[in-house]
Amino acid sequence: MKAEAELGAIGYAPRTRTSGVGIFAGGILTLLVIMVGVPLLMVVLMSLRSGFPGEGGPLTLTNFVTVYSAPSTYKILLNTLLFAFGTVIVGLAFAVPLVWLLNRTDIPLKNTIYVLMIVGILIPVFLRTIAWILLLSPRIGLVNQWAMQLFNLDQPIISLYNIPGMAFVQGVSFVPSAFFMLSAAYRTMDPALEEAAYTSGIGKLQTFLRINVPITWPAIAGVMVYLFMSALAVFEVPAIIGFPARILVLSASIFTATNPPTGLPNYGIAGAYGAVMLLAGLILAYFYVRLVQHGKKYTVITGRGYRPRQIALGKWKWAALGFAFLYLSMEVFIPFLVLVWASVLPYLQLPSAEALSQMTLANYTTIFDFVDAMPFINTAILMVAVPSATMVLSVLASWIVTRTQVRFRGALDTIAFLPHAIPSILLGVGLAYLGLAYRDFFPVYGTVIIIAIAHTISWIAYGTRTTNGVMIQVHRELEEAGKVAGASTSRVLGRIVLPLIAAGIFNSWIWISMLSYREVTMALALGTRKNLVISTIVWQFWGNGWVPQVAALGVLLVLFAVLVVGSLKFIFSRIGEVEMGH
Amino acid sequence: MGREGPRHFTTPVRHHSNRYVLVIRIRGLRKWFDSRRGRVEALRGIDLEVGEKEFCVLLGPSGCGKTTTLRSVAGLERPDAGELEIAGSIVSSPAKGIYIPTEKRDIGMVFQSYAIWPHMNVFQNVSFPLIKGRKRIAKDQIANKVRAALKLVQLDGLEDRPATDLSGGQQQRVAMARAMVTEPKILLMDEPLSNLDARLREQMRVELKKITRAAGVTTLYVTHDQAEALTLGDKVCVMHSGEIIQMAPPQEVYGKPADRFVAQFVGEMNFIQGEVTGSGEIRSPLGTIQVLVPNGLSAGTSVTLAVRPEHVRVSAAPGSDGNIHYGKITSKNYLGDCALLEVEVEGVSLLAKLAGDSELAIGSAAVVEIPAHRWHVFP
Repeated sequence: MKAEAELGAIGYAPRTRTSGVGIFAGGILTLLVIMVGVPLLMVVLMSLRSGFPGEGGPLTLTNFVTVYSAPSTYKILLNTLLFAFGTVIVGLAFAVPLVWLLNRTDIPLKNTIYVLMIVGILIPVFLRTIAWILLLSPRIGLVNQWAMQLFNLDQPIISLYNIPGMAFVQGVSFVPSAFFMLSAAYRTMDPALEEAAYTSGIGKLQTFLRINVPITWPAIAGVMVYLFMSALAVFEVPAIIGFPARILVLSASIFTATNPPTGLPNYGIAGAYGAVMLLAGLILAYFYVRLVQHGKKYTVITGRGYRPRQIALGKWKWAALGFAFLYLSMEVFIPFLVLVWASVLPYLQLPSAEALSQMTLANYTTIFDFVDAMPFINTAILMVAVPSATMVLSVLASWIVTRTQVRFRGALDTIAFLPHAIPSILLGVGLAYLGLAYRDFFPVYGTVIIIAIAHTISWIAYGTRTTNGVMIQVHRELEEAGKVAGASTSRVLGRIVLPLIAAGIFNSWIWISMLSYREVTMALALGTRKNLVISTIVWQFWGNGWVPQVAALGVLLVLFAVLVVGSLKFIFSRIGEVEMGH
Repeated sequence: MGREGPRHFTTPVRHHSNRYVLVIRIRGLRKWFDSRRGRVEALRGIDLEVGEKEFCVLLGPSGCGKTTTLRSVAGLERPDAGELEIAGSIVSSPAKGIYIPTEKRDIGMVFQSYAIWPHMNVFQNVSFPLIKGRKRIAKDQIANKVRAALKLVQLDGLEDRPATDLSGGQQQRVAMARAMVTEPKILLMDEPLSNLDARLREQMRVELKKITRAAGVTTLYVTHDQAEALTLGDKVCVMHSGEIIQMAPPQEVYGKPADRFVAQFVGEMNFIQGEVTGSGEIRSPLGTIQVLVPNGLSAGTSVTLAVRPEHVRVSAAPGSDGNIHYGKITSKNYLGDCALLEVEVEGVSLLAKLAGDSELAIGSAAVVEIPAHRWHVFP
């Protein structure tokens, strides 16, 4: 009898533990479903409601009728498509050659190019856009001023205020993410596949066409879909270049509907635009996931990874380096130099003796005449709260996905990945609607908390991808050894798993902190006068036409980011391998 | 597959006798890499000749340069000095400015990862070299050639299977068929069995030898597994830090290792320090041992004595031969067909390999006997 009782106890113990994990996993799943689902539900709901948020009333299709019976809507959709296509073309035109040059050839200064590309990610897109306007605007642009002076023209020679101009600036900004995604895919290709073709007597061109291209095609197609999906939803370039040029795209239309320059916000119209964007995003996300899985099938068979011989560029070395620096100057050097130049002058002008004599640092000090401490405090709150919340959720979700046998772990992973496909502008507008319409249950509208929530939802996809990656690298048996030694599940997580993944987690923490620091779309969509952050201040200055102050604040913004990331990278390169990546 | 097809650019070099035709000839091959810590020499002057239909194995620990040598023959690495000839024509000579790219060399290669193209099925993988490669053949013959190659590796019937649905062993066979379908002059193999599990590896080892013999192809084979090298090779080259230490038939590499490194890398070996005391006498912790001392080692020189475990005779009663020692058995490892015993003699632990049914037990006293001619002496 005694033996039987003991056996019963042994048989029983694991079951309670499994269900404990199950309840916990269920809690995390519910939380994520609410975080991701409710803002999307709000977008759908607002599209079916007329009147002000919270005004009840029956559901209606009037918003859709209004929007989709107007011819201007189809102009907007066409603009959106053209802009997205152009962006993808510009992005890939730079990213694909760079992937090949940096992964397969002996191009000089490889590390410098890598680092500068990461610096490029740290320059917010809206600052780069502003800098390019300062160069290429027909009215104030330095290039036009210079050309008109030099050739005695009365017409500007070039303008950024058109769809190719928008696609250029946005495409250049997408290059680093496209580069890092493609490089990762490229590196998983076994170089022996290419070598096997050579040893079979197949020439270089045939090998490239019949082996390299078909094998890497799913990855390239995946990146194309991803860029297209992102380009349909971006807001900064369409707002800064598109508004003045009267080239409206979906994201800008959603924003003007909720933040009109005059009159009252109309969330219903925004919802009707948003529904289309949401649908397109989800369809593209589906294709993206399919392509990524298809690509993985090709990378299952890999060997010892003998690094392929680097292709010697010979005399083409300098042309290749020139190409890389042409790109880097568009992404980093030119925008930053223009901002620095504009920030030390009382008004934007061409370099001259007179301009040099007027140089001043006054713009840096006058910034603080227009701003109080609040935006800086708010930004600091975001930079700490957002990465912390995101990483806690990501670690818990990834642990369930990679380590437990919970039945719905696949669903959990998909939910956590979904924000990848949700446009920031929709997330912002959806949460704003939630905060306005359900003020009693969700009393955070107009606070920095609502921005923090939006950011956390948005980057949970990035967070879980990296934590999934680092968790998979920690061998399951290390954890099982802990359990065998008698440690509880929570203790194993805290004492064995966490220390092993700490470096990877910290790395993503820093990165999300920087993304939150430079984010503007959600901060604007959720912004009121009470929850300003630094990025929305820059936006306000620009709206007011204070060019020197915009430039000065922009320079400070970039320098601070580079300083933070640079010093952390320096500190951690001594402790261990900490890599920054997008 | 076995028949000799017409070959272009092959004017065989004939040497000494009419029978031995050189297919691979390597002279003074050097290769270095410039790293942040200065120049690293991967190959320090390799000389190697492989005759027609010969199976030559490059054996050595990782980083010894065996793969670099193989990849230089394939043209996947570019040597910095030395000459490389395939079937009488120079394919690489930095001094003469000659470098024939991989795709123009008359070779076939099997990679460690098999490198089966994942977007093609078995038939497409094997036929691709015939359709797009160096030796294109008439369209109506392709199917026959591919079928013959697949039959050789016993994969007939799997033509339409997608590459991603193959097991490791099947991928290995497809890789072999693909490498041999063009009937190349030489077949290069880079640790082709190392990704298979132990039992399959042994099966494939036997089969590989059959296949290459049937095809009559000259083979250069890289491995770090000494059992593989000894079974497969007509000739084994033991490599260490960029040099070939010993090049000999397998029996000689095992029986007469050229130096300490070869002795300990190929097979098991007991090592004991000693000092030459006179002609045919070495003083060691085991006492004075009567052995044949190699020329040039005068009295007073320290040497290393070595003996294989299977040559250490352990018994309960003394035998007749000289060099007898008394010791105690400290451990016994039963392996079925044999047993490995550790015997402590005069403070020295010796490994001995005995028949599996040996009744000697741990703790029992034993007589250790090593015939004089079994000792190897290394400076």
